[in-house]
Amino acid sequence: MIEFKDIHKAFGENKVLKGINCTIPTGSVTVIVGPSGSGKTTLLRSVNFLERADSGEIILDDFHLDVEKATKADIHKIRQRTAMVFQMYHLFKNKTALENIMEGLTIVRKVPKAAAKEKAIYFLEKVGLGHKANAYPHELSGGQQQRIGIARALALNPDVILFDEPTSALDPELVGEVLEVMKKVAQEVNSTLVVVTHEIAFAREVADHVIFMDGGVIVEQGPPQEILNHPKEERTKQFLSRYISLVEYNI
Amino acid sequence: MNNIVEFSFMWDTFIHLLQFIPVTLFLAIISMVLASIIGLASAIVQLRNIPVLKQIATVYLLIGRAVPTMVMLYIVYFGLPILLLVFTDKTGIDTGYQHIPPMVFAIAGLTVHTGAYLAEIFRAAILSIDKGQMEAALSVGMTWFQGFYRIIFRQAALVAVPLLANQFLGLIKSTSIVFTITVIELLGGAKIASVETYRYLETYLVVAIMYWGISIIFEKLFLLAEQKLRIFKKEANI
Repeated sequence: MIEFKDIHKAFGENKVLKGINCTIPTGSVTVIVGPSGSGKTTLLRSVNFLERADSGEIILDDFHLDVEKATKADIHKIRQRTAMVFQMYHLFKNKTALENIMEGLTIVRKVPKAAAKEKAIYFLEKVGLGHKANAYPHELSGGQQQRIGIARALALNPDVILFDEPTSALDPELVGEVLEVMKKVAQEVNSTLVVVTHEIAFAREVADHVIFMDGGVIVEQGPPQEILNHPKEERTKQFLSRYISLVEYNI
Repeated sequence: MNNIVEFSFMWDTFIHLLQFIPVTLFLAIISMVLASIIGLASAIVQLRNIPVLKQIATVYLLIGRAVPTMVMLYIVYFGLPILLLVFTDKTGIDTGYQHIPPMVFAIAGLTVHTGAYLAEIFRAAILSIDKGQMEAALSVGMTWFQGFYRIIFRQAALVAVPLLANQFLGLIKSTSIVFTITVIELLGGAKIASVETYRYLETYLVVAIMYWGISIIFEKLFLLAEQKLRIFKKEANI
């Protein structure tokens, strides 16, 4: 479970998060949608302190953290319990696909090398890239890199996996393969998944819970059928109209 | 002995001067290693915005790059003993400054000078690495130091190698001025040899060829290092 309590964040004068309160249940797939600049990525990054919120509380199961008082050790601890999949993949460029997955296991989790390698191969195969184990990131397509990014996160077996627009930087043709892997992950893994995305269809199909954000606040949240098909708020309707019309014209 | 350039004399001089090459290399390599440590430390201090240390680094860069190498050598050569003398006077701890060989001052002077340039090379190289790399390292639970050492530094090293090669070749040539503080290296040895024979041109031609030879060898070594580091990187086609 992740709970946000009154999270505020400003970049200079620009208030990005204006008091976020919400609870994401353990093991759920929660999708955060919203227009650009609504603060959804900032909220996601505040969980593992890549962005440090100005005030508020973040609760990860038994671990309560007052953002203002969080020490280096606290931040390190919460990072060890979470993993992230980035929009631009951010695979370690000086490591092969296999080493990318092993890195966190051997260095952070202190798993012996042989066991880490075995685990890394298992997860590479899970994302369908067993044959690319020794390829460097620059030798892989965006979709392949992102699947390895997902494998890297999965291998750590974290409590929470944060997906920061995992398909936004991909060719339309490559989006499918990544979403396919994410669906598989959602079904098989016990970790809590929090996904910031513009893929409304993915949210509809996979999410347990949808949060719609705009202007630094949560406008509406609930089960996907409710939020995506019968939104109550005017702003949500307006945002979704683009996607709905796309579906309607899809002959 | 009527030729303008006496080749047999040049050959003899070459053989004679070979004994000074280790001194030149010792000076250059030790100074480079020490300067790398100082340079890397001051680059990190600047990039991480560590108070006090950052200001010290800034002042160091200002001075280190602004003072000619030879002036720096003189300052260290004449200044450091006085500093140690005062230190001994005040604390009663004997530093034995009277017995420090000039070689130490030479290395100190060259290190201070080169370190300032290396700091900027390292800073630029580290800045050229996408900040997402560190974010990814932190997100898998690494500490900043682990991420820096295992991910950032190794990628930045590749960027830095050609610039380090430049700096090192420059440093090899800078070692030729340390004879002014009584360290006998390649040029110092040649100066002494030429005084005995009055054959200045031949002697300095030999010295030039020897520096050239050393430079070529190190140029190739740095290229090799770059190729070895390059395995993870796509060849740029420009």
